[in-house]
Amino acid sequence: MTDLAIVTEKLTRRFGALTAVDNVDLRVTAGQFFGFLGPNGAGKSTTIKMLTGLLAPTSGRMQLLGLDFSSHTIEVKRQIGVVPEGMGLFERLTGAEYLHFVGRMYGLDHATTLRRTGELLEFMQLADRPKSMIADYSHGMQKKLALAAAVIHGPRILFLDEPFEGVDALAAGALKALLGRMTARGVTIFLTSHVLEIVERLCSHVGIIHQGRLVAQGSIEELRAGIAGEEGSKTTLEQIFLSIVGQSGAERAQIEELSWLT
Amino acid sequence: MADVAPPVGILKQISLIAGLRWRMLHNNLRRKQNRLDLLGLVILGLLASAFVMGLCFALFEGARNFVSSGRPTWLSLFFWAIFLWWQLFPIIVAGFGASFEFRGMLRFPLSFGAFYTIGLAYGLADFTGLAAVCWTISIILGAAAAYLALLPAMLLVGALFILFNVALERLLGSWMERLLARRSTRELFFAAFIFLMLALQLVGPLLNRYGNSAEPWLVRTLPYFAYFPASLAGKGVGAAAAGNYGEFAIAVAGIVSYAVFFGGLLWLRFAAQYRGEELSETPAPEKAIRNKARRESEADALGSLSPQVAAVIRKEIRYLLRNGFAALLLFLPPILVFALITQTTVLRFSGAKTSMSADLFFPGLVAYIILILMAPAYNTFAYENTGVQTYFTAPLQFRNVLLGKNFVQVALVATELTLCIAAFCYRVGVPSPPIFAATLAAIIFTLVGQLSIANWSSLSFPRKLAFGQIHGQRQSGMAVLVAFGAQILLFGISSLVLGLGRWTGDRWLPAKAFALLAGAAVGGYVASLDALTSYAEKKKEKLIEALCR
Repeated sequence: MTDLAIVTEKLTRRFGALTAVDNVDLRVTAGQFFGFLGPNGAGKSTTIKMLTGLLAPTSGRMQLLGLDFSSHTIEVKRQIGVVPEGMGLFERLTGAEYLHFVGRMYGLDHATTLRRTGELLEFMQLADRPKSMIADYSHGMQKKLALAAAVIHGPRILFLDEPFEGVDALAAGALKALLGRMTARGVTIFLTSHVLEIVERLCSHVGIIHQGRLVAQGSIEELRAGIAGEEGSKTTLEQIFLSIVGQSGAERAQIEELSWLT
Repeated sequence: MADVAPPVGILKQISLIAGLRWRMLHNNLRRKQNRLDLLGLVILGLLASAFVMGLCFALFEGARNFVSSGRPTWLSLFFWAIFLWWQLFPIIVAGFGASFEFRGMLRFPLSFGAFYTIGLAYGLADFTGLAAVCWTISIILGAAAAYLALLPAMLLVGALFILFNVALERLLGSWMERLLARRSTRELFFAAFIFLMLALQLVGPLLNRYGNSAEPWLVRTLPYFAYFPASLAGKGVGAAAAGNYGEFAIAVAGIVSYAVFFGGLLWLRFAAQYRGEELSETPAPEKAIRNKARRESEADALGSLSPQVAAVIRKEIRYLLRNGFAALLLFLPPILVFALITQTTVLRFSGAKTSMSADLFFPGLVAYIILILMAPAYNTFAYENTGVQTYFTAPLQFRNVLLGKNFVQVALVATELTLCIAAFCYRVGVPSPPIFAATLAAIIFTLVGQLSIANWSSLSFPRKLAFGQIHGQRQSGMAVLVAFGAQILLFGISSLVLGLGRWTGDRWLPAKAFALLAGAAVGGYVASLDALTSYAEKKKEKLIEALCR
């Protein structure tokens, strides 16, 4: 039997009358690089927040690494790493201080934390600015630091909410290198992104959420097989995504109406 | 080509911003949390209004009396009082005017004139400014009630006095913010503060030795105060009342000069902000970093604590030392205490009978320190920003976060209390053993008692504050109200216990009672940690939402 790293059953989250996540059943196998896609407001961040303990589900179950999240919260959190929305950095610490803080929060001993802090700063090319506050880092540097903090304790699952948003090609390269190393070592990566090209290049499996419902899930090849593309051409993830989520005729008509823009 | 809208006038821009603020307030009230916040502010506003209105009546009556008894120039005293209030109170309560989001506004085609006018007008929109304006109006009305013909002159002098004060207050706030934003100047500033604190210790002996000989010199300097705006305002009113319009014009010109001068300096500061000035940390000196690196590699000084608690403690201390204005506020209570102690010592050395005995003064001093230093604990997550998410994604019990934060808070209060108590005992005298013991037990009771309530308040009514900024640091209304209520309750109980000791004649009774109360407070605190851990889990969404916005 394949080991499942993430399993959700009828996971639901309501905000008043709005159902942001509606009966989502996710299955992510251990070691998979899983891309979680959806249009804006589809429920991606809400799902990732529930899976990382930042938001309580209204109903449904979550199981991570075979452990029920609600009854084994601390054990689960010990084995996951998170780059949350907004990165969750303490901006008035230096990069080293922040990594040290996070390492200790995850229970690493002082010496290990110091060693890993140094290694991660070197790997992420952040070691040359030891005096700078995180607030003075560029956006790309902050993303790299957030990722470093998410992996300092050696997690078995890594949750990344829009890790490549606002990141230039150089910084993205460093992030991808680290993620590549981690999947090679059997870490499960669950990421949300709007950049479909990156997801297509990095992820082996994807889930697509639309209006709170999980509308597709599987390997990219499986999803491709379900979509009829032009003969002789390979269907891209963008085509798959658009065919599943689709741009409505009303939206297209609205764009055509904005005549004053030209 | 796309249509480009024509430029918008200053008044239109100001009205648009006013409309934006109103819409933001209106939309904010849709949330229960914000409605509670507003409720807290309204209740606090009523209490503050009572204070302001009381002084309004006093100033009205005083101004009427001065003018009707032929002493209009004595109004200078009132103007001086308002001036000192307007310029000093914001430093004590950490609030230089209401928030004006400069950088946020700069993405719009806002003219510099509108930018400056709005920035200046915001100086009138906080408690300090509003109270000062109300008092100035009361003086104007009081003088006019005594002599109606004085009204136009009073209106002119009052308006110019307000303009001068608001410009100076905004300028001082802006300079302080700039000064404290940079590590090097902040360190210099704190060094100067420490020297000032030490210098205050010398005031008593110096006055004692040179007081008599310095008196004539002090009297000779008094006339020079006549050239300051508050004195000029009083002088102007006096001249107008006497029909001496030449002297009135000179006094008015003097106040106008001050207003123009400080308004001009403020213009330069705002111009820098309009150009996009970014206040930010500068790198620490290389030496400091090397030392720090060496310290980091040494054994963990907090190794006996759980790693999570130690991590929170380290982070809290770093944040405290880097948050210029918060750190400055921590220095103020001991400075005021030292100043007070020096004053008391002077009275004693000069042969005058001290107005307060050590037994009465000592508990009051301790209460003051706790009152001031515990206030930030009621919104302890204020500076966490998006970092607060770490507390919920990390594998820890929330009690560890609270323990770490409370540890730093207690250490801070304990350090300042120890210093102040030592200074008190050295300069004023050691209080009697029953009062000393009772006060120490009362410290534990009020400190630990407040911590439990403050932790609850921080989780229930979080409000994000801008790190290291002075402008617009408005606390959560409900958090302030809770702090106010808790402090009244705990200090009320303490006063009752002390009174009971006096009433029964048992001098050791308060010490015994406070020891029991302290034990109960510690027990309650320990029990509250688990309850608050569950509570934090329930409140995490609101906490994250409030701090990550």
